[in-house]
Amino acid sequence: MSLKVAIVGCGKIADAHVEVIRMIPSVELRAVCDLEPIMADQLAARFSVPHRYSDLAKMLDAEGPDVLHITTPPQSHLAIVKQAVAAGCHVFLEKPVALRHCDVEAIIAANVAAKRKLTVNYWPRFEAVALELRRMYEAGVLGDPVHVESSIGYDLAGEFGTAIRRNPEHWVHQLPGKLFQNVLDHVLNRITPFMGDERPLIQAVAYRRDTLTEETGGGELLDELRVIIRGTRASAYATFSANARPVGQTLRVYGTKNTAFVDFAARTVVLERRQTFSSALGRLIPSFLIAKDYFQQGLKNANSFSHAQFHFFDGMRRLLTEFYLCIEKDTPPPIDYEEILRVSAMMERIFEQAYPGVRS
Amino acid sequence: MKVLVTGAGGFLGVHVVERLLAHGYRDIRCCLRDRGKAEQLLSLSERYPGSQLELCCGNLRAKSNWARAVTDVSLVVHLVAGMKGAPAEMFTDSVVVSRNLLEALEVRDGIPMNHTRIVLVSSFGVYGVARLSRGFRIDEMTPLEEHPELRDIYSHSKLMQEQLFWEYQRKNGFELVVLRPGVIYGPGGGAFSTRVGLQIGPVFFHLGGSNLLPLSYVVNCAEAIVVAAGHPDSAGQVYNVHDDVLPTASRYLREYKRHVKRIRSIRLPYFVTRMLARFLEGYHRHSQGQLPGIITRYKAASAWGGNRFNNAKLHTLGWCQLVSTPDGMAQTFAYLRERDAKLK
Repeated sequence: MSLKVAIVGCGKIADAHVEVIRMIPSVELRAVCDLEPIMADQLAARFSVPHRYSDLAKMLDAEGPDVLHITTPPQSHLAIVKQAVAAGCHVFLEKPVALRHCDVEAIIAANVAAKRKLTVNYWPRFEAVALELRRMYEAGVLGDPVHVESSIGYDLAGEFGTAIRRNPEHWVHQLPGKLFQNVLDHVLNRITPFMGDERPLIQAVAYRRDTLTEETGGGELLDELRVIIRGTRASAYATFSANARPVGQTLRVYGTKNTAFVDFAARTVVLERRQTFSSALGRLIPSFLIAKDYFQQGLKNANSFSHAQFHFFDGMRRLLTEFYLCIEKDTPPPIDYEEILRVSAMMERIFEQAYPGVRS
Repeated sequence: MKVLVTGAGGFLGVHVVERLLAHGYRDIRCCLRDRGKAEQLLSLSERYPGSQLELCCGNLRAKSNWARAVTDVSLVVHLVAGMKGAPAEMFTDSVVVSRNLLEALEVRDGIPMNHTRIVLVSSFGVYGVARLSRGFRIDEMTPLEEHPELRDIYSHSKLMQEQLFWEYQRKNGFELVVLRPGVIYGPGGGAFSTRVGLQIGPVFFHLGGSNLLPLSYVVNCAEAIVVAAGHPDSAGQVYNVHDDVLPTASRYLREYKRHVKRIRSIRLPYFVTRMLARFLEGYHRHSQGQLPGIITRYKAASAWGGNRFNNAKLHTLGWCQLVSTPDGMAQTFAYLRERDAKLK
């Protein structure tokens, strides 16, 4: 069975969706749509997409896609999801899911009511290193999680950052959590699998450190965020930094047996084991063991590269493949709705503290 | 006559405003994205007594910002273009912004659109040169690119931009003048055009070899724009813009090394570049884009195929090169040297 896919929203991230969709053999990208016809034209022209639209209703009607990828700003997600499921589409939704938690609830409810499937583009969760960490955890290598540190960097001078800085009317400025809301899903969805609490204690501090953010003229664009999360069994620390270099994404899970460290940028996952050697040997040998882990990880990555499975959006390819498969086989989607809701609820509480008084 | 200059705060924009003032235009509205560039523009008006520079700051992606910008202007010099960033950003800045300008001109009160002259600064990138023979002389009759999707995003977006202007010109009958500059360079600009080569990691791959570089010193380019803007015969015409004396890519690189700094470079002959492009293209396809398709045979032929250039049509308007090529290069290299020293 070949799934018919369409995309609504032809901005920057749509390029990634098109590139990944084209890697998956069982699907056909039929059409792209954007309110701005020029944007739909350019995307369709660059990737040889057969049809382009500036009216979503017309596209849904004419193309009848099985899956709609929604890559518009989050302000429009709820309305588009409702329109898509009413037209019988399954939905692959770009993060951030929506402006507010109640909108996220409404989005999921609309999908469930229409018996359509939905997933959110939490693609780093499906990278090989994240899957390896999950395997370690499920095999009991880490023991019980005690604490998780999830951190993400952001380059305000990069492609996406520049677009936000240079345009005071960019949709990111209209989000309740502004810059943080655009990426915090990725930080939190790495923590939630290790913390089962519905409503953990959250303390957030946000501030502006860099002059780059002043260029926007917005005055409210904070660029540093620290969050402490305290659950019943485990705690977590979430960091967003637009100033620390190198710009990275890391996750450290402290368990009762061992600690795992994931570097998403370098694509490595290493285990920091309990020390078994005594005296000076106990201080000498661990660095060689860690070096050996990194060396083995490098070999794994080289093997992936040689098999052309080392793309930037490799995690997205895996996530999409699983999502399309769940549609074909009518199995549960790759990310639990409960987890999407938990992430969203945590985000809302963080933004209430980071930007007190700001409401969409 | 009120003149509107979009992108007035940019690398080229400041010089265009200066040349407009030098040619006697006194009432100029300058559109610029951020107020940070305003001081430089305002200092120009002090040099030209009686001049009125009106600043119009704002994001031109928003249609609402155009209404004020186009009020009462009868000459528009449109310089805004997306130079870098994500493809969507570049298409937005080059094409969507242009469409917003044209729509604002269509609906404004006062001067009808067909009494307006628009000068568009396009690019050499719109020419379809990949399949032309080596040494082909590019002039204004050279065919436009038929496969922009195979080129770089900048060329693609500039072609869409130019086509948009011609489409609106046919619909509204205004006077359109199109200038297609080659490589604009000068103080405030970058060091290397891709026509010279590509910096990959610590090594500069010199791919341009003995090809001529269609350089246009920023002051000379600004002069060409203003001369064409004011010439009665330029309506509906296209002009290639480059200087009279053009260095080769290898000479430019040699001079750069001598006057700015030593860099590690590897020169690849064109046939090697083609072979490399063939390999990279194949790998890109096989690996489904694991490595970006920076160099393809089509792009290589467009950038390093080796053309000659002709600016005779520009001369018919009375344009002449204000700054000689050696002086232009010397001033550019002095700026780059100083910039590098500051960075250190």
